[in-house]
Amino acid sequence: MIEVRDLAKRFGSVAAVDGVSFRAEDGEVTALLGPNGAGKTTTLRMIYGLIAPDSGEVSVDAINVGTSPLAAQARLGVLPESRGLYPRLTAREHVQYFARLHGLNRSESEERCRALIETLQMTDIGGRRSEGFSHGERTKVALARALVHSPRNVLLDEPTAGLDVASTRSIREFIRQLRSQGKCIVFSTHVMQEVAALCDRIVIVVSGRVGFVGSPDALRSATDCESLEDAFFKLAYDRGEPA
Amino acid sequence: MTRLFDSLRVVFFKEFLDGIRDRRSILAAFVPIAVIPLMLFLVFSKAAEQIDRVRNITVPVVGAEYARPLVDWLDQQRGIEIEAGPAEAQVEVEAGRLGFVLVIPDDFADRFAESKTATVRILVDSSDNGARRGAERVRALLRNYGELVANQRLMMRGVSPEVTRPVRVRTVDFATDRERTAIAFGFITFVLLLAVFIGGLQIAIDSTAGERERGSLEPLLVNAVPRVALVAGKWLASVAFAWFSAVLAVAMLLIVLEYIPIHRTGLSLDLTAAEGIRMLSAVLPLGLLASALQMAVATLARSFKEAQAYVSFLMFVPMLPMMLTMGEAVERQPWKFAVPGLSQHILISGVIEGRPFDPLDFVVALSTTVLAATALLCLTAHLFGRERIVYGR
Repeated sequence: MIEVRDLAKRFGSVAAVDGVSFRAEDGEVTALLGPNGAGKTTTLRMIYGLIAPDSGEVSVDAINVGTSPLAAQARLGVLPESRGLYPRLTAREHVQYFARLHGLNRSESEERCRALIETLQMTDIGGRRSEGFSHGERTKVALARALVHSPRNVLLDEPTAGLDVASTRSIREFIRQLRSQGKCIVFSTHVMQEVAALCDRIVIVVSGRVGFVGSPDALRSATDCESLEDAFFKLAYDRGEPA
Repeated sequence: MTRLFDSLRVVFFKEFLDGIRDRRSILAAFVPIAVIPLMLFLVFSKAAEQIDRVRNITVPVVGAEYARPLVDWLDQQRGIEIEAGPAEAQVEVEAGRLGFVLVIPDDFADRFAESKTATVRILVDSSDNGARRGAERVRALLRNYGELVANQRLMMRGVSPEVTRPVRVRTVDFATDRERTAIAFGFITFVLLLAVFIGGLQIAIDSTAGERERGSLEPLLVNAVPRVALVAGKWLASVAFAWFSAVLAVAMLLIVLEYIPIHRTGLSLDLTAAEGIRMLSAVLPLGLLASALQMAVATLARSFKEAQAYVSFLMFVPMLPMMLTMGEAVERQPWKFAVPGLSQHILISGVIEGRPFDPLDFVVALSTTVLAATALLCLTAHLFGRERIVYGR
């Protein structure tokens, strides 16, 4: 479970995040939905502790990220916005590197690595060096290494951005599996199909503030819109001015 | 604490593996193999050239017929060969076609016979090192000749030549052969410092500025691992390469000195394996500092390219004192052993000069260097926690 209370962060004169609060429950997929530059990535970075908030606080399974970052990070699996790989390491070596960093021993790490490679359908690239991987292959490797320590909480920054249909489907399937294991999943996106396909709860972020929190159905009824996309557009862009 | 060391080990092995697979890292580590024979060749050929120049010179003489005894005497001196100079001697020297020439004027014989001072001229282009040395040689010989003739004239007049020489100077040089040799072999220090600075350079940059540039720093930092363990693991991988490079350099040096006939140039340097190990013990601690410094600088740099530029420049900093004292024996004030870079330079020079080993100097050099490395590592670990550094803002 992840709890975010009144997070705020300024970069110079720009208020990137300006009082964001929400709760992401276990066994649910929570979407951080918002236009580009709304503060989704910054919010995520504050949750996983690489950016210190100016005010507000974050807790992961009731552990305060500000005061015990390492303990909180141990309970998080993160796919950050930048998901660079080491060109000279194989897919399997990437996953095992992170497994060992999390303190898994050799046999545990090999076991977890095998399982993840199978689940994410990347058996064919397991032994290949990552130089020349396609975008989809890179994302899968990054996802596998992020979740190798079986974290209770999963943060995904635009997990399907730029992926083809096949990769997108397999990643969505993977997220559903994580949910069925009772994990708490938060992902950011600006793609509406993603939200419709996966989400239990939507947090709409606009200009660093929370515009709406609730289920997709609640969003539809709150905005009087049939489609989620219209509802989102209404909240995110249409501020009473003519479109 | 064990978790910390476990993580450190994991990071070390990953970076080490990454380095071994990187052609550039491997290439950098092997630089000394190429540099040592090259440097030795330079020293060797330079020394050989100087000896040849002093031993065998040809002296062009214009007007030899006006001073036959002088020219014959000159011709008998070791390594001197006389040839007839060109008629337009001055033009030839000015044009650079001739290095130097000895010109004897037509009034020489008359003045000489009357025991008056007779003038000869040496025309020389002193910007040509060879010509300048030849001219110096001839001038010195002519001075000897003059003295010889003066003594004969005085004795003919019944005066002791000692009257004209109230003081005689005799210099006794106490520099040992090893010390003289050390100056010629100053390049050894240069190569060893180069080895520890180049060997781990690629890993130091790749694991910091490179890690950020390829976007793998953020995923790495999200793992619940203390930043000190990350930085120390990367650092040790870089150090491993730097040390490998230094060991390779010393081994190469011992082998090359064994098989190249340097003694023929009049220089000789017999390094024992024990002395090789002492050189290593001096230079290896500097590897700790070199890698730590390169990582800190590369972390502060805005991009991989910028990091490369700064770090390459850094390489010259510890070599500065060395370059300033190039070609001279090093003065060994105690404070110098507290300056990393300089202390290693003096310690290695000491080995080449064949000085006895002073544990205090060694300990002072070691501790100051390790201290500086530790401080830089802490700085880098701190930087890894800064948003500006991680996200490059």
